[in-house]
Amino acid sequence: MNGDGDFLSLLPKSAFGSVSGEAKTAALEATTVFAFHYADGVIVAGDHRATAGNIVFSDRTEKILELDRHSLMAIAGSPSIAIEMARTLQTAFDFYRRSQLQPMSLAAKMRALSRLLHDNLPATLQGFGTVAPIFAGLDPATNRPSIFFYDPLGAQFEGVDYAGSGSGSGSIKSVLHFLEQWGGPKPREMTLAQAVVLANRLLMTAAEFDTATGGVDPLRNDFATIKLLGAAGVRTLSVAEQADFWRQSLS
Amino acid sequence: MTTDEPYRWLDAIANRREYIRDQLKGATPVFAFSRPEGILLLGVGTGQSKVFEVYDRQALAALGHPVDIEKIRQTIIEAAHREGFTRAPEDVTLRRLLNFSLGPALKAGFEQIFSAPLIVECVFAEIGVGSADDVLARVGFDGTYRFENGGVSVVHTEAADEAAATEWLRGQLSETLSLSEVSRLALAVWRALTAGKPFAAPEVGAALAAPLAAEGRTIEVALLERKGPSRVRYLPLSPAELV
Repeated sequence: MNGDGDFLSLLPKSAFGSVSGEAKTAALEATTVFAFHYADGVIVAGDHRATAGNIVFSDRTEKILELDRHSLMAIAGSPSIAIEMARTLQTAFDFYRRSQLQPMSLAAKMRALSRLLHDNLPATLQGFGTVAPIFAGLDPATNRPSIFFYDPLGAQFEGVDYAGSGSGSGSIKSVLHFLEQWGGPKPREMTLAQAVVLANRLLMTAAEFDTATGGVDPLRNDFATIKLLGAAGVRTLSVAEQADFWRQSLS
Repeated sequence: MTTDEPYRWLDAIANRREYIRDQLKGATPVFAFSRPEGILLLGVGTGQSKVFEVYDRQALAALGHPVDIEKIRQTIIEAAHREGFTRAPEDVTLRRLLNFSLGPALKAGFEQIFSAPLIVECVFAEIGVGSADDVLARVGFDGTYRFENGGVSVVHTEAADEAAATEWLRGQLSETLSLSEVSRLALAVWRALTAGKPFAAPEVGAALAAPLAAEGRTIEVALLERKGPSRVRYLPLSPAELV
């Protein structure tokens, strides 16, 4: 018992478990992802790390997944289930567009993810299959990108300014909140170059306080995974572009 | 009639073939070109689409009855997505889709003489790493299909005119032609085939789209991009920018 009032963190534990210590098998988890609005759209970023307890399972994990040309999913939680959800959504969105000759609406895309999360309830309750994704999508009617985040049971919420998920997201959301309130420029006013530098600095900050977050190391050309969503759709930012922006920020 | 009446069956098949060809009269040609930039598909319609996305690297251009085009389109889209989801997108290939899914279904449909026939002629395209890897498959209403080797496929209702148009286009095309120039050539051939006139290259600056618009026709053009940032290579193009 940890007494923090978080029911979801209580679920994996046996009701009749030991009172003297943890007897939990470490599950593989992907952390840390976040998204925020900048001047030209939405930036979605994440580190490359997947962990199992105190073990670094992989430092090359791809967590920002393009679902179609107008939507992205950033995954935190169980990678196997999250990646399968993304694959299912990719196929569902493409199949709808091709067979119906029109793109699926943003509301229907959000619902599709919500339904998958809800269907994953048994794995969530068992504690090894929890997924808490961020979804960024473009509304074809307004050409405006939006950010949504989900609880592991499928409830969706709009991240009006930003959203974060995963173990390192607490620090990141705190900084983003601060900048949106008192920053200059605020993240939503930033240019692409400023937003990219901020995203990498946010990951460095999160890694300072969370061992499950893989930091970035610009000196070794190791940057965040970043995808952009704007009126023209999804674009993946290359390491070279990020390195350029980083150099500009130092000069 | 039963299957032990072969002469009546052959007669029925011949009638069916004649009926379909008669129904196809008036349909206008569609084109597919393997180019350095990708595979260009072009059709001219009157409200109904003729060029369609099938899967990440596959597309379709068809003429015929809109409802029958829909049946074929849905069949191949479903087969492609089932295969892509069960295995991987790289396992979705035109050869497998035609050999094991669409081809047998079309042939069986054509030979079921008590059901309505499918009135469709089409070309399927699959983008490869280089032009030599591109696949253009010309599919007929009876389920026959052939893979084109010359990088050009014209789909028309008259076989002789189709062959002549394909040959003429192959002679006109070169690696250096832009997508715009290829589109203009295709429209010139479209006009020649529908008007029953000899093929002639369009004059530079000639307005090809305006007369079609005046006739209530719309040009549809799409490109299967050879290289692109997305796994999905189908890109609808604006005819206004091309012709």
